[in-house]
Amino acid sequence: MTRADRPARLFLVAALLALWCGALFGVIGSWQHVVPGIVDAIPFVKSRPLHVSLVVAWIFMGAVGGIYHYLPRITATPLHAPRLAWWHLALFIGTGLLIIASYLMGRFGGREYWEFPPVLAIPVAVGWLLLVYGFFRTTARHQGPWPAYLWMWATGIVFFLLTYAEAHLYLLPAFSGNMVRDLTLQWKAYGALTGSWNMLVYGTGMVVMERISGDAGPARSRTAFLLFALGFANLLFGWAHHIYPVPAASWLRILAYAISMTEWILLVRLIRQWRTTLGAGRRERHSLPHRFLFASEVWVILNLTLALLISIPAINLFTHGTHITVAHAMGSTIGINTTILFASVFLISGAHMGRIARIGFRVFNGSLLLFWLCLLAAGAVKGWLTVTTDMAFQPIMQQAWPFIAGFAVAGIGLFVGLTLLVRHAIRALLSTQHATAPR
Amino acid sequence: MATATGPSRVKAFGARHRRIIHLVLVVLAIAQSAATYTTATTVREPKAAYDAAAMRGARWYREFNCTACHQFYGLGGYMGPDLTNVISAPGKGADYARGIILHGTQRMPALGITPAQAEDLVAFLRAVDATGTHPIRHVDLTPWGTYRSMHDDAR
Repeated sequence: MTRADRPARLFLVAALLALWCGALFGVIGSWQHVVPGIVDAIPFVKSRPLHVSLVVAWIFMGAVGGIYHYLPRITATPLHAPRLAWWHLALFIGTGLLIIASYLMGRFGGREYWEFPPVLAIPVAVGWLLLVYGFFRTTARHQGPWPAYLWMWATGIVFFLLTYAEAHLYLLPAFSGNMVRDLTLQWKAYGALTGSWNMLVYGTGMVVMERISGDAGPARSRTAFLLFALGFANLLFGWAHHIYPVPAASWLRILAYAISMTEWILLVRLIRQWRTTLGAGRRERHSLPHRFLFASEVWVILNLTLALLISIPAINLFTHGTHITVAHAMGSTIGINTTILFASVFLISGAHMGRIARIGFRVFNGSLLLFWLCLLAAGAVKGWLTVTTDMAFQPIMQQAWPFIAGFAVAGIGLFVGLTLLVRHAIRALLSTQHATAPR
Repeated sequence: MATATGPSRVKAFGARHRRIIHLVLVVLAIAQSAATYTTATTVREPKAAYDAAAMRGARWYREFNCTACHQFYGLGGYMGPDLTNVISAPGKGADYARGIILHGTQRMPALGITPAQAEDLVAFLRAVDATGTHPIRHVDLTPWGTYRSMHDDAR
């Protein structure tokens, strides 16, 4: 590990530990659905926020660690004020530990996904501001036009901060006042926030692809920028597909429907390039980063198809508020974001494909597929019975119980796969043997 | 590992076009945000606006992390039922809600909520109930993939 690369690698190690802990709390939470009262010391009201916040921390810390690593290599200049990266890391780890402690003590106060006391949002935002400053000062020295991934990172970094601030506007009475406004603003911010970290992760995926193939062309192509513009438009306007049933102005929801449907273009393009990827997959099957990128493409196609279908209001009527939404969220955060970030982590660490990694990869993807299918089935049962019958909540959930149990069992497999991969990645990141190649 | 210096046969997309597209998108997003913060999310029914008690109830809802298990309009956790219309649902109502908030159920633990906090939470649930109906059980689909009540601006 070189001195300059140390903050990036430690960011990634912290991110991987957050993922492992988040997955552990996810297993506890899923079993609390199946066996009420299990693990009484950490009830569901605590295990859920611990799971969600830690997994979200993995995504943005994993992406940020990659940016700190790749940026000096892309711009061919050292990171501006590397000490700021250390401060950023210290702020994130310190605040993360305080957030975990507040959850374990039952001290909440925030809204879904950011349930910690809102005062803890301040150091997170300060840490992010350090990234904003460091990123733009470093990229200012970049010669020539920016490739698409730099645009994606810049957009993701700026919009993460803007939407993170927007997600806390409810603290001002003028921005709440009724449940329609509360929910609409919450999901406006969350939809765009998710879009912003997707920009960070997909930008990272593009860099990994470029470094594996050695071809700088695709990231500078017209197609790359058109896809970026499409993603940006969805980040800005697509959020209202989360709130079709909320009685906000109908134009907001119709606009989101129209914007969301533009993503079919993305899906068609992905399927068309599938044959090329399959060919490359055969050649590069011994490369760990490539194997994860390949898996991420499978998950992108599955999840994008699901996302597009549930963005059609007539279908959303049956799927909204059910486990199909959870399947979409899990498929995106684990199937797409986590596999892209693993590709990046393994590229940076130079980890080789060993027996442990191979087993971890298979267990992870196999369990995730079962997990995803069980959630879809549970959601289909819940959605159909909720809309078409007058059954109460608990009898409906009893009908869905076999699928909920299947999802909890698959969660254990997922946790085992992640444990093997996280261990392999951390060992490689902290090893001095793999740190010499410029990636 | 190869570095990113390979040949590119793809024409670079004009920076000027990109700037214009992004600028237009950002201006539209600002306009949409302004509408979302104001006119697009006002409520017609006066009972739906939070009074002081409902405002406190919204805070207790966050402080006790009720969203971990419950939903409004299908948004929130999956362990317990959706609470959008718990006040007006047949067989339920304010007393029913108050009892569960204070004492819990077989599946929901008693969270140590005081009677005063329970009143605030009931006031909050009452305001939420006045905003609309969820879930939508009257399925009336259109050829455009929407459903009719989605087009009703019933605020």
